Amino acid sequence: MLVQSMHFKQRASEKLGDALLQGNMRKAKGKFVDGRAKAVAEFGVWEELRTHAAKIRDRAIANLDAYLVEFERNATRRGAVVHWAESAEDACRIIVEIALQNGVKKVAKSKSMVSEEVNLNERMEAAGLQVIETDLGEYILQLAHEPPSHIVAPAVHKSKEQVADLFVAAHGKPRLTEIPAMTREAREALRGHFLTADMGISGSNFIIAETGTTLTVTNEGNADMVTTLPRIHCVITGIEKVIGTMEDFAALIRLLPRSAIGQTITNYLTVTTGIKMPDEADGPEQMHIVLVDAGRTRLVGSDMQEMLRCIRCGACMNHCPVYQNVGGHAYGWVYPGPMGSILTPAYVGLENAGDLPNAATFCGECAVACPVKIPLPDLMRKLREQQFDRKLRPWTERAAIAAWGFVATRPGLYALMSKLGARVASWMGGREGLIHSLPGIDGWTKGRDMPAPAGRTFRELYKRRASHRA
Amino acid sequence: MGARENILRRIRAAQGRTGSEPTEAEMALVRETLARREIGPQPAFAHAPDRLAQFRKECDRLGTTHATVRSEAEVPGEVARYLSETGLELRLAGWREYAGLDWPGAGVAFEGRPARDGDATGLTGCFCAIAETGTTLLLSAPETPKVTALLPETHLCVVHAARVLDTMEDAFALLRQEVGEPPRSAFFVSGPSRTADIEQTIVIGAHGPYRVHAILIEP
Amino acid sequence: MKVGLFVTCLVDLSRPGIGFAALKLLESAGCEVVVPESQTCCGQPGYNSGGREIAKSLARKVLAEFRGCDYVVAPSGSCSGQMKVATVHDLFKGEPDLPEFETLAAKWFELSDFLVNVLKVHKVPGTYDGTVTYHDSCSGLRELGVKMQPRYLLQMAGAQIAEMEGSERCCGFGGTFSIKLGEISTRMCEGKCESIRASGARAIVGGDLGCLLNIEGRLRRTGDTTTKVLHFAQVIAGEG
Repeated sequence: MLVQSMHFKQRASEKLGDALLQGNMRKAKGKFVDGRAKAVAEFGVWEELRTHAAKIRDRAIANLDAYLVEFERNATRRGAVVHWAESAEDACRIIVEIALQNGVKKVAKSKSMVSEEVNLNERMEAAGLQVIETDLGEYILQLAHEPPSHIVAPAVHKSKEQVADLFVAAHGKPRLTEIPAMTREAREALRGHFLTADMGISGSNFIIAETGTTLTVTNEGNADMVTTLPRIHCVITGIEKVIGTMEDFAALIRLLPRSAIGQTITNYLTVTTGIKMPDEADGPEQMHIVLVDAGRTRLVGSDMQEMLRCIRCGACMNHCPVYQNVGGHAYGWVYPGPMGSILTPAYVGLENAGDLPNAATFCGECAVACPVKIPLPDLMRKLREQQFDRKLRPWTERAAIAAWGFVATRPGLYALMSKLGARVASWMGGREGLIHSLPGIDGWTKGRDMPAPAGRTFRELYKRRASHRA
Repeated sequence: MGARENILRRIRAAQGRTGSEPTEAEMALVRETLARREIGPQPAFAHAPDRLAQFRKECDRLGTTHATVRSEAEVPGEVARYLSETGLELRLAGWREYAGLDWPGAGVAFEGRPARDGDATGLTGCFCAIAETGTTLLLSAPETPKVTALLPETHLCVVHAARVLDTMEDAFALLRQEVGEPPRSAFFVSGPSRTADIEQTIVIGAHGPYRVHAILIEP
Repeated sequence: MKVGLFVTCLVDLSRPGIGFAALKLLESAGCEVVVPESQTCCGQPGYNSGGREIAKSLARKVLAEFRGCDYVVAPSGSCSGQMKVATVHDLFKGEPDLPEFETLAAKWFELSDFLVNVLKVHKVPGTYDGTVTYHDSCSGLRELGVKMQPRYLLQMAGAQIAEMEGSERCCGFGGTFSIKLGEISTRMCEGKCESIRASGARAIVGGDLGCLLNIEGRLRRTGDTTTKVLHFAQVIAGEG
């Protein structure tokens, strides 16, 4: 996906004024946040499970090479071909080659965020392949030529009227007004594609080292279609998705749907190991698994390593007050919200995504919601430290912090300047005691008054009081 | 290929290890850890005193309807009842293991073959069921095609009470014991398909079935 | 028992009355309170802007200033979080003075937590007749577990509490965030103000002056000149 993260502030501004988006975000928040809260309340040992999940994810990352080698060994043994892709370009090249070598014309895809990272659809279409997204939200966005704005609910920003318009244009049938009917129409349109696709591409929520298994969780059943019906199945996955055992999966699947949307389990778990056996009636003849690096190995061993625990549930963005107000497109790349504020700079460069780690008040909601206890605010702060050290922020910000530090370590100077500041600002506030505008802080004063200081500092009043007493 | 070695080398270097291939000793240690099959914390309701009640409760939560009969012989009758009450044709594609039941007696046209697009109803059994989540687990094999549970609008699933387990971990343990490794497809079904991708409004019946009906056999 | 009062830079500069209220509360509960004159700032603005070294030098200054105290108390969840959590879990990890910061963290308390859980007060000097709503500042709530304590104290003063929907939701201050991403900050603040209005309370009370200035600034800009915006210390000291 094209990187637009450098335009965060401007895009956020536009989104704040988008009444339709604001309404959709409000609705979504109620479902996701309340849903998760209810599921967590019913669970009992939620915190213990989070601790366990963080541990097993950390263990996989600490042994990432061995886990990947074990996965490769078992997957290969079961008839899959395992490919390794260092870059986005490599991942696309590998998959396009598989398609062309096998006379593939049509590709049916279930959702994969890493495929968005590497721009897989564009590359396949450029090579003459027809690509159909089958997750309903992704299908809608494909028709709209838009990127997803949420990793679990990609079309959360769209209204049913907008979807109805897209369907009329794409399906050529009379315009619908009700959501169930629209869903049915999409089902019928996509059913045909499932049955005639030569290749199915799926993402993978996890891959299991001990069995060589890839797996996807859905409510729609599209991943099942895509991994069962076409003759070639291709999995594209980030290398950090590897977990150890089926028991690890059982633990993580208790966390994922609850954290994402408050569901106890998704309707389908598509747990796939290897290719169709000779006497089986259904299943693909070929299975290819593309393990993608594309920046992940840079996080291994770094102080951002904990981010690799992520199981892509979306809870962080659902609970983030900034995301709730601006939506996903403002973040300008594949991953929005807190996890996006960390992964985007990590994968596309801090210099291209500078506002993202700053788009946070460090309220901590994300850290509480993360099922694998990633310390998201701390990681965002580390990125701010990198920006500070590399002088990536405006010089005025750096200078202001340096000046503050200079004065605050010098009590005499501080006492003098704060005395002056308190008096001047108090005078500016006038009778109302409110400052309506102040150059340098118009980020504040555009939307709020600044309550004026009392006029004397605590330090000087306390000193005066103490000397009166003495 | 160079990519594999490069990726492994980078991972190892980042963690203070040399080379581009894990050593035999490292692999042995990892395999030992994996073989322990550590189980994480499970919620209390995962071990409900009445397992079948827990299974039915979760089916209700997810929209899987259910009925209970005393033996496989009663399955055709229950299928006929369900299909006519639901307003569906008394016809289905089913797993061959059920071909020998008295379908003609119940007035149901049973075809023992994998379901095709256009079949309205599919009948399967399951390897086992999971009470904690109201899930049935279907394993792929020549006589147990997945498409029968996936393509039709209605999925009927025969579940033997003795095969209802507490948790997914129990299901994996049974799979290892009876089958060894997971087959090509281990398909966990928990309710009819759904989507909420349009305005977060839940619609039942996305790409998979609109209806899942569990027929519990409890002698 | 010698209690050091960390006034906080915002209180010192903008609302000294909160500092005097804290002083009154501690003294009326029997503490000997010292207020080191050279104190300035805990360093959090620098810390959250990525200026790690500045944050460390300010933290070390605070450590030195409050060395002689049995306890250190601050009328702020965010400054207390900085000195209790950021120092020990991040800034001074692996540093030779980590043990000293661990000692400081153990004796540092946010004001309401100190009054309720250390001094275990059963009455407060002030009385408040009316209904208030309470804003749970993020650091106090999520880093330090400050939730029940200020409410307990407000009820001791006779105040009725009308909980607002979303009392735990961020008000949008976030330090320099309020200026750097001011538009988003204002929108978040407006959300908080909507909750305050819906609660029906005539006063909004909180434990962090940054949040309170933010909320008051938005209330006044949108034409609300009557809702009182108060630190709980002012209310329970009888200065609200």
